[in-house]
Amino acid sequence: MLKPLNEPRAALVEPRADGAPRLVNRLTVELIREEWRVVDRWWTEDPVNRRYFDVVLESGQNVVVFHDDEHGRWFSQRGA
Amino acid sequence: MIACLAIPAFELRAALRKRPSVALQPAALAPSDGAEPLIGSITPAADQAGVRPGMRMGEALATCPKLILVEPDPASAERDWEEIVRSLEDSGFAVESSVLGTAYFDTRGVERLYGGLESALERALAAVGSHWDARVGAAGRRFAALAAANVARPGQALIVSDEHTKEFLAPLPLRLLGLDERRREELEALGVKRVGQLAGLPGAAVAERLGPDGRSAWGQARGGRRGRIVGRRPPAEIFEVLEFPEAVGNELTLRRALATLVDRALSRRERADRFIRKVALSARLVGGASWRRTLTFRDPAAEPDRLRIALGPKLNDLPAPVLALRLELTELTESRGQQLELVKPDGAELQTKLKEGLRQVKASTGGGAVASVVEVAPWSRIPEARALFVPRDD
Repeated sequence: MLKPLNEPRAALVEPRADGAPRLVNRLTVELIREEWRVVDRWWTEDPVNRRYFDVVLESGQNVVVFHDDEHGRWFSQRGA
Repeated sequence: MIACLAIPAFELRAALRKRPSVALQPAALAPSDGAEPLIGSITPAADQAGVRPGMRMGEALATCPKLILVEPDPASAERDWEEIVRSLEDSGFAVESSVLGTAYFDTRGVERLYGGLESALERALAAVGSHWDARVGAAGRRFAALAAANVARPGQALIVSDEHTKEFLAPLPLRLLGLDERRREELEALGVKRVGQLAGLPGAAVAERLGPDGRSAWGQARGGRRGRIVGRRPPAEIFEVLEFPEAVGNELTLRRALATLVDRALSRRERADRFIRKVALSARLVGGASWRRTLTFRDPAAEPDRLRIALGPKLNDLPAPVLALRLELTELTESRGQQLELVKPDGAELQTKLKEGLRQVKASTGGGAVASVVEVAPWSRIPEARALFVPRDD
């Protein structure tokens, strides 16, 4: 079986009231550079419904996280 | 003697192995994609309902509204047939097979081994197994052996001696003679309904009326050529498979997958630097169907680019998205020699160094540690669907 590249990894995210991340892996989000939504494969049994955030953390690290609206969980992902 | 082992409606039986309950119902092999809408082989229940192989699909469904159309599964059929031929070869028969479901072999070499002709034929039936309902015919001539196999009951071995060949063939129906339906109807309209009636006509008159096909059928009606059975060379067992996490229908992705398969198959140690004479590309499709194409090279090849260029256009024939793609090197040459190059192509040295480096990494970290990244859907909005890790075996 082949393995996909850039598989999402579970992330520890504390969201704000509007749903945007406030803390990512216990580090404060300094800036949200971009936000977008991916809705795909809705015609399959495994639909994709994600809200992505490209954020800069207090450490200066640039991270992309998303909230999986199908499963109600947060993930980080490279290559997004 | 020439023996013929026949499994009627083999492709239908192979397709029904996963759905054995359908075999008892009226069912027929559906036409392949893009082909004329004529049904293929049928089950006995469909035969009783008045359906005939080769009928137009609409006519067949009108004749028997309960008719189940079974999608052909060529890859499984080829694999099952290959298993059967190998079992025969394991029992000592040198098998010649050009059509799925029909195999010829010469019994002379094995009669002494098994203690006579009948025992040898029984051994052949036992090698195939009872679930295929195989039957065997033996005669001095190829067509007579085929006819005997078609007349025999499942599991029966029917031997037709030379002196009885004419009498044996005479009452058989014309459909056994590989004539197309129009020609057969033409003959039947003229009152020629049995093999013996055709054999009794003057050859020149048959050739004039029915052309070369008719002349060849006339020859068969008289017993067919004696011919020699040429046992095949057992195929090589080198294959590579790529299973996709989800169905792939994009040509670019499939071409990349093919390139990976070619590289992996060529780097297999069992190939031992031999050239490839024949390859088979098969796929498991969405919905459970399969697809298969074979290709024979005029000049045996071992260059990845040649294989890719030759096999690439075959991917255009795929009728549905693919779940798994498989490449088999079915026939290799015996020779291992290779013409040395006067000037090495650009990058050849770097390629060698890279391969050596990868070999070292694999030696220290174990198999599966070295992989290539292959883009499969770079346009996808889902990041993890854009590329895959493909383990490198070279």
